[in-house]
Amino acid sequence: MGTYLAKRLLLIVPTLLGAAALVFVIMRVIPGDVALLIFGGDAGGHIDPKQLAAMRERLGLDQPLIVQFGTWLWGVLRFDFGTSLWTGRPVIEELLVRLPLSLELALAATMVSVIIAIPFGMLAAIRQDTWIDYAVRVISIGGLAIPSFWVGILCILLLVIFFGWGPPLEFTPPWIDPWANFQMMVWPIITVGYRYAAVTTRMTRSTMLEVLREDYIRTAWAKGLHERAVVIRHALKNSMLPVITLVGTEFAFLIGGLVVTETVFTLNGVGRFVVDAVAHRDYPVVQALIFLTAFSFVLVNLLVDLTYAWFDPRIRYR
Amino acid sequence: MTSFRSWGSRTLFAAVTLVALIGLATVTAVEAADTPRHGGILLAVIGADPPSLDAHQESTFATLQLVAPLYSTLLQTDPYSYPKIIGDAATEWKISPDALTYTFKIRPGIKFHDGSLLTAADVKATYDKLLFPPAGTRSIRKNSYSAVTSVEAPDASTVVFKLKHPSASLLENLASPWNVIYPKKYLDKDPNYFMKHVVGSGPFKFKSYTPGSTFEGERNPDYFIKDRPYLNGYKFFISTETSVRAAAIRSGRAYIEFRDIPNAEVEAIKKTLGDKVAVQQTPMTGQWGIAINNTVKPFSDERVRKALTLGLDRYTAGRVLFPLASLRDVGGLLRPGTEFAMPEAELQRLPGFGKDMEKNRAEAKKLLAEAGYPNGLKVVLKNRNVKLPYQDFAVFAIQEWRKIGVEAEHRPLETAAWFADGRDTGNFELIIGPTVEASDDPDMFLRRYTTGDAQNWGRFSDPVVDDLFSRQSRALDHGERKKAILQLQKTVLEHAYYMPGLWWSRNVVHWAKVKNYVAPPNHYANQKLQDVWLSED
Repeated sequence: MGTYLAKRLLLIVPTLLGAAALVFVIMRVIPGDVALLIFGGDAGGHIDPKQLAAMRERLGLDQPLIVQFGTWLWGVLRFDFGTSLWTGRPVIEELLVRLPLSLELALAATMVSVIIAIPFGMLAAIRQDTWIDYAVRVISIGGLAIPSFWVGILCILLLVIFFGWGPPLEFTPPWIDPWANFQMMVWPIITVGYRYAAVTTRMTRSTMLEVLREDYIRTAWAKGLHERAVVIRHALKNSMLPVITLVGTEFAFLIGGLVVTETVFTLNGVGRFVVDAVAHRDYPVVQALIFLTAFSFVLVNLLVDLTYAWFDPRIRYR
Repeated sequence: MTSFRSWGSRTLFAAVTLVALIGLATVTAVEAADTPRHGGILLAVIGADPPSLDAHQESTFATLQLVAPLYSTLLQTDPYSYPKIIGDAATEWKISPDALTYTFKIRPGIKFHDGSLLTAADVKATYDKLLFPPAGTRSIRKNSYSAVTSVEAPDASTVVFKLKHPSASLLENLASPWNVIYPKKYLDKDPNYFMKHVVGSGPFKFKSYTPGSTFEGERNPDYFIKDRPYLNGYKFFISTETSVRAAAIRSGRAYIEFRDIPNAEVEAIKKTLGDKVAVQQTPMTGQWGIAINNTVKPFSDERVRKALTLGLDRYTAGRVLFPLASLRDVGGLLRPGTEFAMPEAELQRLPGFGKDMEKNRAEAKKLLAEAGYPNGLKVVLKNRNVKLPYQDFAVFAIQEWRKIGVEAEHRPLETAAWFADGRDTGNFELIIGPTVEASDDPDMFLRRYTTGDAQNWGRFSDPVVDDLFSRQSRALDHGERKKAILQLQKTVLEHAYYMPGLWWSRNVVHWAKVKNYVAPPNHYANQKLQDVWLSED
């Protein structure tokens, strides 16, 4: 296990390097020039080539690609992701403003989705083709079909229309004011949680149905075991492996992938930051964010793999 | 009898006293309600994040509304009497008889927020940056000052603008809210310093800015107008979603939106809040139209351009788009009803402005056939990825053109790409290109139709237009100027170099407790907020 863990941790390095190199190249081959955008980004006019060259020099864009990449990597090793070309602030500072919010939202929404999905998915499976199953399926299909941003806007409008109340417009970290944080975050958490609960519920239901048809479950029933023992002890644990993979991937995606929800709830999170940075060709920010996302995925995958062993003792890593 | 009289007198006296007291109380109450109150934070919502904080280098409300309260300008538009020009940092000014020298006296004792004094040297440095931008910086409006040859500061309280020819609009341009005064010492170090920093001398001091989230200013206790500002501060919440901004006002999370809220949302807000909310509907010095790239085929052919403008039913558009997107008035190149605007009767004789749409469409089809497109043509209409009012207007235009056989593909772009394609590179056939300025001044609005101007997105060149612009700009005689302006508008519209759509009318929605804010006919002026107060927190 120790060797396996060490190997996996070492593999993180080339994976992240590969991701960083890929993004570095892609950001530079796609059309668009950050210097041009800075001059003409939101106004301006016909640009003096001398001014453009001066700006490129200032931004270090006149250096060969390999030098630019090397400089960036050396910075990353020192936790210095460079300076945002657009805001002029260190990327790490920009990230630290947004990361707590995105992590809180991702963690809480994942928890909400798991709390809803596993019992309801399980219930739908063991009561297959009853009204309970139908209700769970309808609600979960609704969660998949209705876009999160629409649920979000509906949430805000209903609160305003019926209670004359709207969620706060500014994020307050939970360690500063837990109540203000709760008032703001509960709605996006519900909105996103519902969407991902729908996905996880369907996965839980289908894997449970598969497991419930296995021979060893039939044997357990034949032994006269109580329903709870059959379902919880024998079926649930074995049906969880695909669900864990799904939840892990969802969590990693939620850290940087909630652009629309963040826009609707005026959340200044990583998702919106990624989109703005891409639109502004803000290379250092995009590279740092892709690096962060890749790191999240690699880490979550590792944790998922390690969790497998706990759920299924037959799995042993070498 | 005596006692009755005595009782009656006492009663009468008491009644008179009571009435007097009630009257006094009412007057006092009214006075109290109208007496400015100090304190409170003005909470506002805004629909975009600023690309930078340097007003000289930007042209979006997203920059100006946030930073305007932090700065002074040389002159300004009177907050209560648009378009009258009054001083801000300047107390008085003189224009020489030949109109080639403008001399301004700077108010003594104005302090920047870092404690240093604002002098004529700072004004000169500011205008030198605007008029002659150093390498690595840009100045959006420098062409508006092409008549100015130099700015001089002979002493600490005097600024002199020297002109090569008279300029009818110089004062209007010097009152532009974009021309905020920066301290010279920072500009000397880095002309781009103010893209990311704020050191002003306005009624509020910079407090904090979290990109994508909030922008805050706090009261400047050393502001040069005694007893101002009334507010302790202001705070903008940034949200790109119109419905979210409207909901924020409905729920009281924000008190005002300075740009525009669509009518449907305004009605919903009024229904919820009743008389707790006030709506100021003002016409706008802004028009949403379509820039035609005159340098590419088939748009270099006047017949095609004319067909497209003939195909737009502007009068129906005004009725349909007003409730959705606040676009209402049909007009030419200057705001309808203003001093230099084209009279309606004259306008209706120009292509696309006649009211008989059947006739217009028949003529459009005929022109397209003559130009070699008897079965219509396919075009790409680029647009800014902003719903209000860009996309609503484009959708209307596209379905109108279908009626003359023109199939337009709608291609919304991110703001930066929209500016890059439309203004900087000309990579478009047709593009939604509004004309929005801080005042109705013809110089500001008409410069974009001259050869090589930065805002001439259509890239057309007509020596007649250039000459008319130059003549009107220099004309000090009102009648002569008006004649040139009308002729210029007629020339542009007759040749369909540019396709005006509709003039905007905006709704400034605010809680009634926000006092003393008068919405001007644009969302740039009157944003200093020094006289605004809150009647309650």
